[in-house]
Amino acid sequence: MEFDWLTLCAEGQAENCIPPVQLAYLVALVVGTILFAVIALRSRDLSTGTLVLITVAIAINIAVGSLTFALRLPIYLDSVGTVLVGALAGPWAGALTGLLANLIWSILPVPGGAGPTAAFFAPVAAVIGLMAGFWASRGVFRLRTDDSRVGQFLALAAGVAAAGIALLIVQNTIGMPELFPDDADQAIANQTRFVLIGIAIAAIGVVVAWLTNRTTFHFDPEDARIRPYLSGATTISAFVLVFAIIRLLFAPTGYFSTVTGLKEDGTVDDFLGGADLTGLALPDPLGLIVAAGLGLLVAAGAWAWAHRGDNARLFPVWVGGLTTGLVAAAISAPIAAGVFGGVTGGGTDALVALFRTLGLGIFQSAFAQGLTSDPLDKTISYTIVFAILGALPLTVKTMFSRGETTVAD
Amino acid sequence: MVSPATGYYRPGDSWLHRRDPLTKLLAVGWVLLAAFLLPPLSLAALAALVLVAAATTGLVRPLLRALRIPALLIASILIVNALFYPGAQDVIARFGPMALSREGLAFGVVSAGRILVAFSASILFLFTTLADDVLESLVARGASHRIAFVILSAIQMVPRLQDRASAILEAQQARGLAVTGSLATRVRALVPLVGPILLGSLIDVRERTFALEARAFGASPRRTAYRVVVDPPIDRWLRLGILVAMVATVVVGVGGWLA
Amino acid sequence: MTHAESEPEAAARRPDTAGIALEAVGVRYPARREPALAAVSLTVAPGEVAGVAGRTDAGKSTLALLAAGFIPRVVRASVTGRATVDGIPATGLDAGALAGRAGIVFSTPANQLSASKLTVREELAFGLENLGVPREAMDPRIDAVLAELDIEHLADREPFALSGGEQQRVAIASIVAMGTGTLVLDEPTAQLDPAGTRQVAELLRGSAAAGRAVLCVEHDPTVLGHVDRCLVLDGGRAVGLAPPGVALGSGVLGATGMPVPTIVRLAEHAGVDQALAFDEDEVARRLRDPRVRASPSPDVPKATLEWTPIQERPGVSLEVRGVTYRYAGGVEALRGVDLVIEPGEAVAIVGQNGSGKTTLAKHLDGLLRPDVGTVAVDDRDIASLPVHEAARTVGFVFQNPDDQLFNRSVEREVAFGPRNLGLTGPDARELVERALQLADLLAVRTTNPYDLGLSTRKLVALASVLAMEPPVLVLDEPTTGQDGPGVSRIGAIVDAYQGTGRTVVAITHDMEFAARHFGRIVVMRAGQVVADGTPLDIFSPERSALLASTGLEPPVAARLGARLGLGSTPTPEALLAALVGSA
Repeated sequence: MEFDWLTLCAEGQAENCIPPVQLAYLVALVVGTILFAVIALRSRDLSTGTLVLITVAIAINIAVGSLTFALRLPIYLDSVGTVLVGALAGPWAGALTGLLANLIWSILPVPGGAGPTAAFFAPVAAVIGLMAGFWASRGVFRLRTDDSRVGQFLALAAGVAAAGIALLIVQNTIGMPELFPDDADQAIANQTRFVLIGIAIAAIGVVVAWLTNRTTFHFDPEDARIRPYLSGATTISAFVLVFAIIRLLFAPTGYFSTVTGLKEDGTVDDFLGGADLTGLALPDPLGLIVAAGLGLLVAAGAWAWAHRGDNARLFPVWVGGLTTGLVAAAISAPIAAGVFGGVTGGGTDALVALFRTLGLGIFQSAFAQGLTSDPLDKTISYTIVFAILGALPLTVKTMFSRGETTVAD
Repeated sequence: MVSPATGYYRPGDSWLHRRDPLTKLLAVGWVLLAAFLLPPLSLAALAALVLVAAATTGLVRPLLRALRIPALLIASILIVNALFYPGAQDVIARFGPMALSREGLAFGVVSAGRILVAFSASILFLFTTLADDVLESLVARGASHRIAFVILSAIQMVPRLQDRASAILEAQQARGLAVTGSLATRVRALVPLVGPILLGSLIDVRERTFALEARAFGASPRRTAYRVVVDPPIDRWLRLGILVAMVATVVVGVGGWLA
Repeated sequence: MTHAESEPEAAARRPDTAGIALEAVGVRYPARREPALAAVSLTVAPGEVAGVAGRTDAGKSTLALLAAGFIPRVVRASVTGRATVDGIPATGLDAGALAGRAGIVFSTPANQLSASKLTVREELAFGLENLGVPREAMDPRIDAVLAELDIEHLADREPFALSGGEQQRVAIASIVAMGTGTLVLDEPTAQLDPAGTRQVAELLRGSAAAGRAVLCVEHDPTVLGHVDRCLVLDGGRAVGLAPPGVALGSGVLGATGMPVPTIVRLAEHAGVDQALAFDEDEVARRLRDPRVRASPSPDVPKATLEWTPIQERPGVSLEVRGVTYRYAGGVEALRGVDLVIEPGEAVAIVGQNGSGKTTLAKHLDGLLRPDVGTVAVDDRDIASLPVHEAARTVGFVFQNPDDQLFNRSVEREVAFGPRNLGLTGPDARELVERALQLADLLAVRTTNPYDLGLSTRKLVALASVLAMEPPVLVLDEPTTGQDGPGVSRIGAIVDAYQGTGRTVVAITHDMEFAARHFGRIVVMRAGQVVADGTPLDIFSPERSALLASTGLEPPVAARLGARLGLGSTPTPEALLAALVGSA
């Protein structure tokens, strides 16, 4: 048997390969079905109390979503109930909440509702519930100086950081292989190398996470190191974020270096009337100093903030919210692209148009649009749930087995 | 015509109303499959099918009125794709950064058409079917009656919660909370408004759970049903036919891709 | 699992251990040091109605949950002693054993509904569905229950569209339909108006007569007057088990420091037989006896509170002129209302549900704007002010405290109001201190409000408005759901507040509360003011026909005074004074 068809199609290649888009949809369908089956299976074991909680959470989703719609705020906040259930009753209960809430939202004529077609986004809602439950069990909602699970969270962050560094090193040394080269023969070799490198990077991340969990971030309850470590993590993350964004845009090989004002064939580009922005790509070492300087400035501010009172507790909450938002955007994008022609029908579609003029494809524009609203929306939702859980009375906490362990005092 | 507990449902006695809910559910499923898997020309046929169904049940006007809901979405799909299609080669006209292209127009029309068909079929289903009946019919065929309960009670709880949200809005304003004005003011009003909604509902969870326990909820695996959902004899054949159509659609559709 | 039998069959089959049997039971919750119940004994046989009285947190709800078999099965707690429900030991229960045999109803009507059914009929079938009762057997049982509880006319109505009293009856019917041999009710009338309360009270006897053991936990003496025997709890311990006339009297309830209900107090004074303490005819008869009239009655100490406000706010006048208001559906809630309240008055607005009293009160702080007419606060038209601005002058305490509470401690909650008004620093702290003191909340200042009972939460909501020291205080149903000491406390707060020259307006069903603490009573009916005067005037015998036409009853003391020909005696003190005077 020949296996050379087992490659993703290169640019323009039509036979002897698998179209990547169709493959992505197929994988998504399979994963989605498995997810759905697991949710259905797990739902059989839910207690009456959890079912009532889910019912109430669904109603909360819709009511709060309508409230923010009425307050004319630029966020949805329609997953607050989902996150709440994930925190109190676990990931699968959270997933069920998201799923059912999305379904009900689509069949009820409520203000802010988009009608039955909103049901296509059900997988996104389910995954939000899953992630909320995952993060809650890592302790993001209950981080005080006496919870040793902060260590798990920091280990996770360290693992991701290690993987990111590994990726950077690879890019700047041997370089990542091009996935869809013009030469069809190169495709197989390139794609194999890509997969291998990807596995290696992931392995590095996992090893680092596991090691640090056992050593550096292995805390006893009430360990005095937890708070400073958290503040440190906040500061480092702030620095990395600012540094990365600036480098992405202003580095010698960053985004602005590609805006030459000319298209590939030499004609004048439409974007900004053919403006040449390559001057904004600062040469090194000036560019490095600027990026590092700004990064340090923001990091100092983050350090000061993290040390005021218990503010550092919010850092894991925001990491949870941001990552959930990122994943939500990532899953929404193909749905928007495949089902809704790349838009979502909200006011943010103007952004989609903008991204397309910047040269992004249909999928990328939808993803970029999601990135502008989902991470913020989910981070705010996580923060609200964090605040509410803090005010939760004992009678409710004791109703749910996870209530006492995932919820802060 | 729209009541909190019954959603879009419009009471009636048409042939659609009288069908078993599962039959209708499968029919909508088939329309969705066909809209997304079959070549774009089939969209016209599907739209016509849905229109005929609406006409024979006297629901054309409500259907057209309901199209208000996805109107913005459909307009967005058309405009954004027609004017901003990435990689467009066949351009008809340019307006600054916008370029009206044939590919964009085609893509936009097809996407919008799919949504239109999907929406119309679904809303016609919702017009003629009560959620209670669909769920009861699914439970009779093995679905979890506890999940069905969650769906139905969540539906009924939404308007209650919205009423509570209004009451909370009033009560907090009476304590001096400002809810109009700058963005900062409105954002600061969020926690005092959302807080009681969440906390009050969570407190209720305890009492509601007790009330359900008192009604033996989940006590017996063999739950019986009071509500009678009629399953006319033709429906069995209808469902079989629809299932066959679904399989055929998948085969033809996926085959078309691979070809 | 076989379907549950109907109660006559079941009652015939069960041995004498049916009903509720609690022998020296103790209950302790996992997180608490103190037990919720200690060494309590109580038996309720089929056909009997037992009541449970006591202050909030005395352990009444715990007892109710235990009697229904919910502890330790549904609620985690350790149980000592023997508790048997319907012949089954409570500790040995599994999920299926008690299904359909013991039932419990709570105080919030809306929470009792399954919220998944479209008609009352289907709602009643819900329990039967869960029990696996065959479809053919359902309708006869539902019909029987509809008839027993007199709700046949509600059979096809949507459950959420019913009034609170009707919903409670449907809730009780749903339990009864399951064929339960034991019925437990935990403060079922806490959120109902007098009409709803009466409906539930009358149900108790009928339910017991059908062969059930009925246990009712309550604050309201009118309900407790219907029971055979009443248990009084104090701090988790039983201090007395006797017919209500004795249990609620000064020897038992009074000895725990709780106020004795007026009718019982008068019955004691008249020397009425304990079994007839709630029988007004009997009390009136005995009070005619000249020897009884002449005997002095011990003074009930009236609670007084000292309160000095921090802010000097002069009294403010309220003027309502020609106000008409229509709700969205076209219902005319107010039809040409004229009302002037001078600074420093204490006014009680009374009327049946639907008379427009809440609508009128909401106009006073701008929550509702009149369609016709004007509302002026301090000579300024309130239409020019947004609600949160008007809140500086008119403080409104809503009936449901849960609409306002969201902070993690009582102290933070009380500080919320002053913060919104822009007050900070030591002034704000002092305001909070005084408000906490006034409402007797100092002991629970760091507790989460939702960990406290409903009565205490109402006090927290009240304190949070008191901390703003508004010149006008509006209270919406301040005494519903409150225990005896709570009612006294609120009455004392009203007196103290008004004593500083500020205005207090209360919407209330509690006629005795109105007569005691308010110098002026405004009676409403169908959106109009039909009477306006002092308690002496409104509750006089001449006005009784008018009052009856609005669906209201004068307080017990006034009723007795009228029967005895003593003129207008709105309060028990007035009645007793008049008795002595006429001897």
